[in-house]
Amino acid sequence: MPGLTCSSHQCADTVAETTILSRLYSFLALTMHYPDPELCNTVFFEAMTSLLESLGSQTELSLLRDWLNQTPDPLNDLRTAYTHLFITADSGETIPPYASIYRDGNGTLQGRSTEQIRNFYRQCGFDITDTNEPADHIRFQLDFLAALTSEARFEDEQFFLQTFFRPWFELFQKKFMQEARHPFYTVSIQLIDFFTKEEQ
Amino acid sequence: MATNLTRRNFLKAASIAAASVPLSQVTAKAQSGVVKAPLVSPGSFKNTQTAVGGVCEMCFWRCQLVGKVRDGRLIKLEGNPKSIDNGEAICARGNAGVAMLYDPDRLKYPLKNVGERGAPKWQRISWEEALDTCATKLKTIIDRDGAKGLCFFGHGSHAKYLMDFLERTVSTPNISEASFFQCRGVRDTAYLATLDIAPDENVDMANAKVIFFTGTHIGENIHLSHAKNYLRGLEQGAKLIVVDPRYSASAAKSHIWVQIRPGTDTAFVLAIMNYLIQNKKYNADFVEEHGEGFAEMAKGIREWTLEKAAEECDVPASQIKEVADLMAANMPHVAIHPGRHTTWYGNDFQRCRALACLTGLLGAIGCKGGLVLPKGPKGLTRINWPYVPHEEDSVLRDVADEHHFSPPGTPTELLRDAAISGKPYPIKGAVICGQNIMQCMPNQEKTIKMLKQMEFVLCVDIMPTDSTMYADILLPDCSYLEKSDFIKTGQQWDLGKDPQQYIAPRMPLVAPGFERKDSIWITNELAKRMGYGDKIPAQNQEELADKALAGVNLSLAKIKAEGGIHVQPGVSPYDDIDDLTVHFYNEDMEDEGYPPIPTYVPIEQPPQGFVRLVYGRTPLHTFNRTANNPWLVNEAKTNPLWVNDKLAARLGLKEGDTIKLTNQDGVTSPTTTTVKVTPGIREDVVYLYHGYGTKNPEMTQAVNRGIDDNSLITKIAVDPESGAHGMRNNFVKIVKVS
Repeated sequence: MPGLTCSSHQCADTVAETTILSRLYSFLALTMHYPDPELCNTVFFEAMTSLLESLGSQTELSLLRDWLNQTPDPLNDLRTAYTHLFITADSGETIPPYASIYRDGNGTLQGRSTEQIRNFYRQCGFDITDTNEPADHIRFQLDFLAALTSEARFEDEQFFLQTFFRPWFELFQKKFMQEARHPFYTVSIQLIDFFTKEEQ
Repeated sequence: MATNLTRRNFLKAASIAAASVPLSQVTAKAQSGVVKAPLVSPGSFKNTQTAVGGVCEMCFWRCQLVGKVRDGRLIKLEGNPKSIDNGEAICARGNAGVAMLYDPDRLKYPLKNVGERGAPKWQRISWEEALDTCATKLKTIIDRDGAKGLCFFGHGSHAKYLMDFLERTVSTPNISEASFFQCRGVRDTAYLATLDIAPDENVDMANAKVIFFTGTHIGENIHLSHAKNYLRGLEQGAKLIVVDPRYSASAAKSHIWVQIRPGTDTAFVLAIMNYLIQNKKYNADFVEEHGEGFAEMAKGIREWTLEKAAEECDVPASQIKEVADLMAANMPHVAIHPGRHTTWYGNDFQRCRALACLTGLLGAIGCKGGLVLPKGPKGLTRINWPYVPHEEDSVLRDVADEHHFSPPGTPTELLRDAAISGKPYPIKGAVICGQNIMQCMPNQEKTIKMLKQMEFVLCVDIMPTDSTMYADILLPDCSYLEKSDFIKTGQQWDLGKDPQQYIAPRMPLVAPGFERKDSIWITNELAKRMGYGDKIPAQNQEELADKALAGVNLSLAKIKAEGGIHVQPGVSPYDDIDDLTVHFYNEDMEDEGYPPIPTYVPIEQPPQGFVRLVYGRTPLHTFNRTANNPWLVNEAKTNPLWVNDKLAARLGLKEGDTIKLTNQDGVTSPTTTTVKVTPGIREDVVYLYHGYGTKNPEMTQAVNRGIDDNSLITKIAVDPESGAHGMRNNFVKIVKVS
């Protein structure tokens, strides 16, 4: 049920984990922002590298490092890549990062899913800061998950992941993985998948 | 992702420390897009509200709307119940405005092209960077070449404020609007040369006894109150005459269908007039009172016997006589429709002038069922950019001493040729707003050549289009549902009813999404950066509307409180023609070297093995503007080629076959369409809906659907009097694909 939080007994050893998980979601949300010089810098890439090292994800680590070694201007490169992938692609292969595109049948923005997702944020006591963007943009959803986990609301987190996030994200990811994409975003999408999918 | 860990293990793992420090360094600075808010219990979310003041622009008729809005999201559009124009009705396109508003392919942020013109690679940039770049580039060209070094192509209310800034204050004469030079400008200037009035489509069909269409096909072209006006006329017993090589939606409702040979309409109208004059069946009292040069015209068109016209037009002489007699029997209550899209063959000024003369000959002006002068509300304040005269020798039609009866602006062909050749002067900056020049200007190769030689191309639009692919900077405009940039005025649609007038300023029904900005804001920001900040006539869109409305003691707020439309008593449109003169013979035209009486100019007929390509409207689209709308695409997926059944049999074509088209210059359509076999079109003509065959892959719904007729219009015709294009002079062969 939405609104429930973990009891202290249930989450006795999760204070550190809670903090880390919330930070992870925040970090993943940042990867889905339009690249900003304030964030898209050496510290940011080092954090991503450390995360991949901790996970032992050698393939993704190589992808990221090779790209960083090759690109003279990571910010400029990422901006073009982000625009191409998520805003408008000259190939017509844009992969819009909004739930309603994948879930609502007619492929428009601001669909029923958008409304349901925003309503869920509000039910949980949160709302988006920028109403110019549809509430179901992936970065808002990841920020929302960060907010929930920062309060150790794991049931709400799981409910949101199962009911709202994963159903569209899996379709989005499938479309994304159909062809080779920019290394940074390939790694980012893989990380989002890893930290949001149900454990087997 | 290749890892041996699970999320839970990872979070528990000691190694987490290594990752957590840099993570916290990054996220500590991050601003979350989600914040704490008052708890909202389920079931207590906002109900649907009605937003008033919508003015549609899915086409340019601009019906009045209300929006059903829930929590900032537009759910549904309806006609405004207060409207005395479209009323509560809106058409399929109007309904589909919701799908346009939330089309994921729409432009969302300012973009710069880091690839090539025509093969763009976009990068999102800030408004600051976009506007600074545009202002610097445009200013550089102006400082070096003068204002004439810029050109502008625009369409619709979105474009007007920006166009006025460039034309009036920056003072470039190189303004070319599709609505004039590829649509209705030739009609307006021909009527001005004949009746001293631009007719728009002010025909009182609802109260007519006869309605006469040449190439007009209401029902395929849906302008709602106009369609109601037409249908009311038919309901009340008006006889409908339709002159069209194709069995159009209007032809299907006609009492007489004249299946004319394309391009010969002027001969047809001249023969009607000659017959009426010779048989004294015209409105002699009206001609006596209002006519000028009638005897000269009567003498000049004598050669146009019924038999001569019958041969030229490929219709029976008896049918021309039948049409003329029907008009004579019912004059003056004859609605001679002036047409709308009139740029057909490059002889169009003469056809429109002949129609205006026929209107005068029947006395079908200012009376029930005739052409009337509009009686909309007066007194709105004109707010505009200050006017600065154009630089000497910069107006291309004056330099060329051509097209003396041109609509406002510069004929497209003169502008394009000057840009490509650099003569009489270079044109190195292009601003394009709301006009898809690739889809509406004939000979796309020339348009591409023009764009590629530019130093800078700015596009402002709501959608990516085939034209925005050539932009250096691409700015996202608000749609008509997100802004206030236009005031629609008019009278009740049935002119026979108690006169009423309305004032309907456009108001946003929802807030603009993403980083879209209205074109008034965009223009003002450009003006400030280009050094014209002190010339700005209104600081924002609301002020612009309120200043205009102040002239009639109204405001946006007042009209919003009235339900989005102000309605007031009107004035009868009938019997207001005391000062009217019908110039059957026009001395000014003679002075400029044009025929002073309406004159038939024959056009080339299809060579052996070819048929003429003509195009028109589907009621489900407005050219290419709506081509990406998912609701409308679902209803009208492609544009089948109408092929005469006998021709199809000779060519071995069946209904549903996939085909390409190749034109007389060897240009083949890059895409395909299917065949529609029908007896309802002549054997020497094939027909397509216009606006299909989109090339830009960013329009994911529209790309490669059907054939773009404009890609096959490579042979250019230009109307000598007006400079407008003629776009039905190209011939095609049908190539079966499967």
